[in-house]
Amino acid sequence: MNGTPMDVSIKPIIYSALFIALISIGAMIAVPVGPVPIVLQNMFVLLAGLILPPAWAAGCVAVYLLMGFAGLPVFAGGTSGIGKVFGPTGGYLLSYLPAAFLTAVISGRAAKSLVRDCGAAIAGMAVMYMFGVPWLKWVLAVSWGKALAAGMYPFVPGAVLKIIAAVIIARKLRPLIRF
Amino acid sequence: MTLFSYHPGDTLWHTLDVRCKCLLMCLLSLAVLKTGLPGNIICLCVLMGILKMLGVGPVKLVTQLKCFLLLLTLIFFCRWAVTPGHPMVTLHGFSLTRQGFASAGLVSLRFLVVMLLGLILTVTTRSMEIKAAVQWFFKPVPFIPEKRVAVMVGLALKFMPLILDNAREVTHAVNARCGNLRKNPVRRLVNLAWPLLKKTFQSADDLSLAMQARCYSENRTDARFFSNGKEGWVVGLTFIFCAGIVLMG
Repeated sequence: MNGTPMDVSIKPIIYSALFIALISIGAMIAVPVGPVPIVLQNMFVLLAGLILPPAWAAGCVAVYLLMGFAGLPVFAGGTSGIGKVFGPTGGYLLSYLPAAFLTAVISGRAAKSLVRDCGAAIAGMAVMYMFGVPWLKWVLAVSWGKALAAGMYPFVPGAVLKIIAAVIIARKLRPLIRF
Repeated sequence: MTLFSYHPGDTLWHTLDVRCKCLLMCLLSLAVLKTGLPGNIICLCVLMGILKMLGVGPVKLVTQLKCFLLLLTLIFFCRWAVTPGHPMVTLHGFSLTRQGFASAGLVSLRFLVVMLLGLILTVTTRSMEIKAAVQWFFKPVPFIPEKRVAVMVGLALKFMPLILDNAREVTHAVNARCGNLRKNPVRRLVNLAWPLLKKTFQSADDLSLAMQARCYSENRTDARFFSNGKEGWVVGLTFIFCAGIVLMG
């Protein structure tokens, strides 16, 4: 074997890979309600942001997107391909990158208070809609009202539930994870 | 073995260079997005033919993709119901339109074609080959640790079936304890989700210990790519095919 053993900690790599797998599986469970489906992948993106350090959270989402663009069936409903970026859900997909990073930055590494976790998850979810809705409006060439009706309003109750679930799961999982 | 796992074989698609396969996937998924109903139908027929050659016939496809086909049907009806236009069927004052039918058909077909493209890639390519291709594509990109990214892709592909197996085991364990008879759906979900997540994260911990015990290092021998020498022909024909279906509209 060449090179020095253990030149990088393996744990963040393994946890990032695990989150990529969880995001992919969350995407496979998609309920279509118009141009944008209801998926669990954004909950796992928030979870990655709440558990992983900022660079690793953004890195794991970047690798997830790359896998999908390369043709692996990891996007909503088992789809894939670079063409998804130019579709109605492209903005949501690309938003996962800043959303995971922002969630991880706000959540911080030291004191993990419940308020801070909730704030981080809400900010992350807000970023997803801030990127996703304008993209949807641009791709479908519809008014702001229609874009919000198709890409945001039906998902708000689900988004609130996902934020609550992500915060609860993150707080229960943290004691099990040691970097 | 599920439909999405690697199926060994020596067909043209198995022996094609994995980097070439990834590029063809990108090209075809873009073409599918730019073409209309006739182009998508032709693409679907070609992909079904390729899958038949790979030993994945229509019966096996339908049996193993039951959930996906159900989802596709839902997408079709949702899209048909929400698209305005000239009424085709009217039930209790609620109209299903001609334009909705065409639009729903196109969207569902695109979903199916893109899913079959991904299926061909996963059926004919080992996860190690995909990992090697990712590493190769990222080598010239500055500031990206291509070997780490490749390890993450390889591990994520291994974790997916592991999580699904764990989910099956946890479901059986919960059902054996009559957990499925609980009336509260939230409680039922929690009883299923929490043990699954705990088990999955513990598996990840075990894996990290195993890799550390085997002196894991990023400085590993680079993977070698195997080529069947027909990549040029395949890329050329795919370009012509893509141009044809895009022009067809």
